[in-house]
Amino acid sequence: MNKTTLIATIFILVMAVFPFTVDSAWLSIGITFLVFATVAFSQDIILGRAGVFNMGHAIFFGIGAYTTAILNVHFGLEIIATIPFAIIFPVIVAIVLAGPIIHLRGDYLLVATIGFNIIFEQVLSNDLFGLTGGPNGIFGIDVVRIFGYELFSDKAIYYMAFGLLLVTLLIIRNLDNSRYGRALYYINKDEIAAKSMGINIPYYKLFAFALGAAIAGVAGSIFAIQYSAVSPESFSFMQSVMFFAIVLVGGSASLPGVIIGTFVMFVLPELFTEFKESRYLIFGAAMVLTMVLRPNGVWPASFGNIPKYLKEKALKAKPKGETK
Amino acid sequence: MDIFLQQLINGLTIGSLYALVALGYTMVYGVMKLINFAHGDLVAFSAYVGLTIFSQLFGASAVSFVNVIIIFLLTAIIVAFVGVLLERLAYRPLRTAPRLSAVVSALGAALVIQNGIMLIWGPNMQIFPADLLPSTTWNISGVIISFTQVCILALSAILMIALYFFINRTKIGTAIRATAIDQDAAKLMGINVNRIIMIIFVVGSMLGAIGGLFIGLYYRSLTFDMGWVYGLNAFIAAIIGGIGSIPGAMIGGLLLGLFNALIAGYISTEWAETFTFVLLIIILIVRPTGILGEKTAEKV
Repeated sequence: MNKTTLIATIFILVMAVFPFTVDSAWLSIGITFLVFATVAFSQDIILGRAGVFNMGHAIFFGIGAYTTAILNVHFGLEIIATIPFAIIFPVIVAIVLAGPIIHLRGDYLLVATIGFNIIFEQVLSNDLFGLTGGPNGIFGIDVVRIFGYELFSDKAIYYMAFGLLLVTLLIIRNLDNSRYGRALYYINKDEIAAKSMGINIPYYKLFAFALGAAIAGVAGSIFAIQYSAVSPESFSFMQSVMFFAIVLVGGSASLPGVIIGTFVMFVLPELFTEFKESRYLIFGAAMVLTMVLRPNGVWPASFGNIPKYLKEKALKAKPKGETK
Repeated sequence: MDIFLQQLINGLTIGSLYALVALGYTMVYGVMKLINFAHGDLVAFSAYVGLTIFSQLFGASAVSFVNVIIIFLLTAIIVAFVGVLLERLAYRPLRTAPRLSAVVSALGAALVIQNGIMLIWGPNMQIFPADLLPSTTWNISGVIISFTQVCILALSAILMIALYFFINRTKIGTAIRATAIDQDAAKLMGINVNRIIMIIFVVGSMLGAIGGLFIGLYYRSLTFDMGWVYGLNAFIAAIIGGIGSIPGAMIGGLLLGLFNALIAGYISTEWAETFTFVLLIIILIVRPTGILGEKTAEKV
């Protein structure tokens, strides 16, 4: 068992027994952490792995949450039945929105996704088609029922969020080992070289967008279940900036980095409510300082299957090189 | 027709404000290829600084022409200093770092300035005094023009023409243009790139400061988070005109101001931002380099 596996195992075990050791306030902080960590990982697929500058990730998180809320409150669907829609809708929106702009150069893409996020906020708060409930959002989302059993306790929601995080980590692990993951890695490293290798760049970038949107959508759904309400400010442009910053401050394409980033950005403020006033000032200063001291993030990805595999292969190919 | 002319005047006024702010973005982007996300908040900061200078120095005394000039100059100097400090602390150490690190640093700096304003002046709305400039208005066959609007239009035009000549006719301007094209080559020619970037931040921040004061004089209410709105609009103006191009920022600002005013006058104010961003995205899809942007060899 190597060090990475050991750390991962300890993390998963601690998170699994966490609900039995704490009170309800801490439990709800735990759910927030799991939900936002999942969204941050889905952002990491787009930003960290594909290298696509996406600053509108809260859109997909929000569409997931609003899909569950609208289908449950207005159309009376069971929560469980809304989750497939909370996966499909963000994916459709991701492809429709990103499709025409995916070829843009980084900074322009960044501004275009900011634009989409602000349009999304206006759609929500202007109550489009009378479905989104305007600035106040939607209240009174039902509890989750599975075969007639009500899962209303915070513990049940915690394990739903925990399950989703584990599935996300599994998806990321499989992605890294797959053809798609390798393609994304090369696109991120050197787009022109990737293109000359025959990699269909827009296709893989859109794939990353769709996968990230799907995961963020489910996370949004759980977010809506936790608060049994949704409102526009949870999915604002500032929230997208936060997800963007988490990935880069923590270290892009790095699992521990994203966990640390989520903890610092979303969990610390819940613990220290005293400094709520100056919270963003401290975050801003911390963002600048982290980037100046560690431009690749707090815990940058120094491992990962592809580079190591390539390095070993390259060493083997050298006549006098050592393989280990 | 009167409504149209009125919106035209209002649009040109807002447009010159956007243009003043957009110049700061476009110069920084032109040389450093960095979106200076903190620029909008610097503009908001300058409005607060101007307000404070006014209430501290000239609290009760009558406002004279000289006093207004002093307020503008002091604000411009303070904001230029903050702009240079921003570059030193947040951008210079990251000049060789990955591009996204600088973006995050810029966002962090924006958060610091925005929340610094909130901590210093409080989260509530501040009201800019009405008697700073004469409240004369002219009614020209149904179209109302205020003295403030005339001031904004005239001074922005003068500043932009001055900047145009500064960039195109002076030695420093030539050095700035050379640095924008190729930093390394500029260094080889004996240009001190650090100094050029400092000059850009000084000039950009000063123009932003004047823009911020005009925003305060024109809209009169200030909120600590207003920087985002003006910053984003000015940035869109810079993209519309072609980012990196100084005349582009001016034209882009004026066009965006007109567009905003006409949307607000004829269609809807609730959806105004949506229309702005739809325009931006259409421009990005159709002509990513903007109206006056040069076609680059790099694939966009």
